[in-house]
Amino acid sequence: MTTTRTSPLAGERAAGVDAELLEVRDLSVEFTGADGRPVRAVRDVSFTLRRGETLAIVGESGSGKSTTAFAAARMLPGTGRVTGGSVLLDGEDLVAADERHLRTVRGARIGMIFQDPMTSLNPVLTAGRHLDEVLRAHGYGDRAARRARAAELLGLVGIPDPERRLDDHPHRFSGGQRQRILIAMALAGEPDVLIADEPTTALDATVQDQILNLLTDLNRRTGTALVLISHNMGVVARTCARVLVMYGGSVVEDGPTDRVLTRPRHPYTAGLLAAVPRLSAPSGTRLTGIPGSPPDPARPTEGCAFAERCAFAEDGCRTARPRLVTLDDGVRAACPPAAARTEPLSGPAAPERIDRPTPGGTVLAAENIRKVYRGRGLTGRTKGFTALDGVSLTLAAGETLGIVGESGSGKSTLARVLAHAHPSDGGTLRLRGQDITRPSRTELREVRRAVQMVFQDPYASLNPRMTVGQVVAEPLISLGLGDRRAREQRVAELLRQVGLDPSAAGRHPRAFSGGQRQRIGIARALAPEPTVLICDEPVSALDVSLQAGIVNLLGDLQRDLGLALVFIAHDLAVVRQVSHRIAVMHNGRIVETGSADEVCENPRDPYTRALLAAAPEPVPVAPGVVV
Amino acid sequence: MTTTTPTAGAVPGTAPAARKAPARRHPYLAALRTPRGLTGLALVALIVLGGLFAPLLSGHDPTAQSGLGLAAPGTAGHPLGTDDLGRDLLGRVLYGIRTDLGVIALAVPLGALLGCLFALLAAAHPVADTAVQRVFDLILAFPGLILALAVTAVLGPGRLPVILVIALAEIPVFGRQLRGGILVQREREYVVAARVGGTSSSRALVRHILPNAADPLVVQLALSLTVAVFLEGAMSFLGVGVRPPEPTLGSVLNQSMPYLADAPQFAAGPLLAVTVLVLGLSLVADALNREIRR
Repeated sequence: MTTTRTSPLAGERAAGVDAELLEVRDLSVEFTGADGRPVRAVRDVSFTLRRGETLAIVGESGSGKSTTAFAAARMLPGTGRVTGGSVLLDGEDLVAADERHLRTVRGARIGMIFQDPMTSLNPVLTAGRHLDEVLRAHGYGDRAARRARAAELLGLVGIPDPERRLDDHPHRFSGGQRQRILIAMALAGEPDVLIADEPTTALDATVQDQILNLLTDLNRRTGTALVLISHNMGVVARTCARVLVMYGGSVVEDGPTDRVLTRPRHPYTAGLLAAVPRLSAPSGTRLTGIPGSPPDPARPTEGCAFAERCAFAEDGCRTARPRLVTLDDGVRAACPPAAARTEPLSGPAAPERIDRPTPGGTVLAAENIRKVYRGRGLTGRTKGFTALDGVSLTLAAGETLGIVGESGSGKSTLARVLAHAHPSDGGTLRLRGQDITRPSRTELREVRRAVQMVFQDPYASLNPRMTVGQVVAEPLISLGLGDRRAREQRVAELLRQVGLDPSAAGRHPRAFSGGQRQRIGIARALAPEPTVLICDEPVSALDVSLQAGIVNLLGDLQRDLGLALVFIAHDLAVVRQVSHRIAVMHNGRIVETGSADEVCENPRDPYTRALLAAAPEPVPVAPGVVV
Repeated sequence: MTTTTPTAGAVPGTAPAARKAPARRHPYLAALRTPRGLTGLALVALIVLGGLFAPLLSGHDPTAQSGLGLAAPGTAGHPLGTDDLGRDLLGRVLYGIRTDLGVIALAVPLGALLGCLFALLAAAHPVADTAVQRVFDLILAFPGLILALAVTAVLGPGRLPVILVIALAEIPVFGRQLRGGILVQREREYVVAARVGGTSSSRALVRHILPNAADPLVVQLALSLTVAVFLEGAMSFLGVGVRPPEPTLGSVLNQSMPYLADAPQFAAGPLLAVTVLVLGLSLVADALNREIRR
C-alpha cells in the first residue's frame, strides 16, 4: 500500500491483476428475529474476487445479497453474526480478526458506498471536511496536502470546479453529486475493493447512468475491484464483468455476465431475466413473472429454496440442497438438473398480448390543474413550491394512461389531485362531463364511488391495526354501501378477484408479503365499484418477479370491469407495456403525450429522449434469446 | 373471474406457517411480562397495596398523638417509631402514600385528558393549532414549582390546588405528544387511502389516526406519574400542598428535616416510599417504551 499511497491516481497497481484478492468460503450469517428465533440470511456462500475485477451480486429483497457483502467486510448490522465459513483478504481471515485490526482494513483495503446519498452525509460539514476526515484517519499528509488530495478526489469523481466546491455543504449538491462525494470518500483510502450497496437505487434513471459510468471508469483507471450489489439486471449488465445471482440466502449461479445473462443455467436466473420489463416490448403485452412468493428466511427449506416456484423442479430438488457445480465455460450453477440439460432454458416466451378493451368516451378530464404547496407560517409568507403547473389530460373509459417522470416531477401530486385526496389550487376537473373541481358533499360521494386509488407502499398504505376484512370493507362502510352481510360477501368476492383467499379477511396485514399486501390495497380500491382507478407507482416497492403479477392483475381487472386506469411509474418499460397512451412529466408539467409506442419510439421532447436513453436494458442482445 | 388470478401462488393458504400470525399478545401485556416490566410492576404494587391496606397494616390513627415524643423504631406498637408529635410513623407513611396516590391518580389522568382535548382542537384547524401551541408555551414557561406557588397564592393550600397544579403541568406534555402523533399519522398513506375511500375526517381520526398515535401516550402516562409524585412531594414539603395534619410523604419528610442528624429513620420512611414508587413507574414506562418501539 505504501507504494500506491503517493502514486498518481491512474497509477498501476503493483500486484498482478489475476491474483485472488477476496475469497469467501462457505459463509453463513444469522440474525435474531423479532420472536427471538434465528433467521438464516446467508447459507454457505462461496465466491472469489480477483484484483481489479468487477463482480455484481444480484438478487431480490431477502436474497442475502447485501448481508453477504456486509459480512465480508465484517460490518453486519444489529443482531447479525457470522456463524460459519471464512473471508480471506489476501489470505488473511477477516472472520477471525479483532475489531482493531478490522478498522485498519475498512477504508484502507475495503471501501463501501451505500444506497441513500441523501442521509449519508453530515449536513453541517462541508464536502472538504468529509474527505479530510477520511484522509486524516488514514494518516495522509498535512492539512494542505489533504486539501489538495481532497480536491483531486472530487475531480476524479467528476465534480466540476473541485477546489471551490470543497467548501460547500451537502445541501448545495444534488443527489447524484452527493453519491459522487461518497464514492470519493470511499476511494480516499485507496482501497483494493469497493463494495457498492445499491448505489443508484435512490437515484433517478438519468443520474443512475452517470454514476454507473463513473464506477466502471474508476475501476479501469485505478484498478480498484468493484463489488456491486443490485436488484436491477440492467445495472448489472452494463457495469460488471462477472455476476453472482443469489436466491434465498444462497448463490444459485455465478459466471461471466455476458454468458449468465444470455444463457442462464439456473431456472431462477432465467425467470428473473424474463421478468425484467423490456423497453423494446410494445404496448399491450403481458409481463412475465415468477409464480409464488420468495422464501421466508425464518423457515429454511430442506432442498433448493427455489424448488417451490420452479417449473423444472424434480423430486430430488425438494430434499437435497444443491451445491454449486461448475458447468462448461466457467459458469457455476446450483441446480443438479441444469448440469444434465443441454438445451438452453427457454428465453422469455413470445410476448402475450393483453386482451384490452377499446377505449370509450372520456370519463375523467383535467384542464390546467395547478397545485402549490404553501410555505410555512400562518399566512404562508415563505415561498411555496409549485408541484403542478397547468396540467391537462383526459382519460377514456377502459383506457390506461401511463404517467412517467422522475422524482419530484409532480406525478404523485397529480395522482392525489385526480383522486381528490388533495384539493387543486386552480384548473378544472371533470368526471363524465360534470365539474367536480369543488364538489359538494353529495358530489364528493359520487366522486369517491367512481374514482379510487392504489398506493405505492404496500406496507404504509394499510392500517396495521385493522384486519384485512376491515381494510377492504372500509370504503363500503364509509360510503354506506350494503348492510353487514352484503359487505362480508362483497369483501370475500373482492379478495377472490385479486387472487387472495377469502379467509384472509380475518387476518392482519402483517401476515402478508409485499405483493399480497398490494393485492389487498387493490381490493380496497375496487370495493365501491369505481370506473377510474389511479395507481400511484403500484409496483415500485415490489421485487421484479412479483411486479408482473400485480401489473397483469390490473390488466385483467381492466378487461373484466372496463376500468379506466391511470398508471404512474418511473420505469418507462413497464409503463409502455401496460399503457395505451403515455404522458411524460417534468417539473410539474406534462412535456409530451402520445400513444405508448409512439412516445417510446419517436420521442419529440428532449427530456423524453433523455429518459429513454438512460433506461438500462438488462440483456446484451444475443442470438438465442427472444427479446 | 377466476381468470384474474394468473399467479395463484399469492393465495395465503400456501404461505409458510410462520406468516400465519400466532395469537400475538397485546404489546402492553408483553411489555409488562418482561423482567423489567415485572420488576416495575412489583415495586408499584408494593407501594400501592401498602397505601390501599394502610388501615390493616397500621393499627394507629395517623393523626393520633401517643404522647411518646420522637421514639426510636421498634418501640412497642410502633415498628418505625413515632414522629416528634408522638404519631405513629409507619401509619403516617402508609396513609401518606394513600393521600399521594389519591392526588396523582386524579391529577395525571385529568391533565392527560385536557391535554388530549387541546391536541384534538389543534389538529382541527391551523389557527386553533397556533393558539393552542401558544397556550402550551405559556404553561411550559413556568417551572412546576413556580406554577404551584402561583396557584396556591390564589386558591390557598389544600388538596384541590395540588390536583390543579399537577393537571395543569401535564396538559402541554400530553397535548404536544398527541399533536405530534396526529400530524405524523395524518400524512400516512393509509389515512390518505381512507380519505379517498370516502371516510370522513372524524371517522379517519377515530379509526386510523388516534389508535396509531396512542402508544407514546401510554408511556407518557407512566412517566408523568413519576413526575407527579415528585411535584406533589415538593409542594407538601414546601407547605403549599395538602394541609396538615393529614399526612403526605412530602409533609412527613418536611417534618423530619430538623431531626435528620439525630433520627434519620424519620426521613427514611417517606424517602424510601417515594424512591420505590418512582423506580417502579420508571421501569414500567421503560418496558412499555421498548416494546412499542419494536
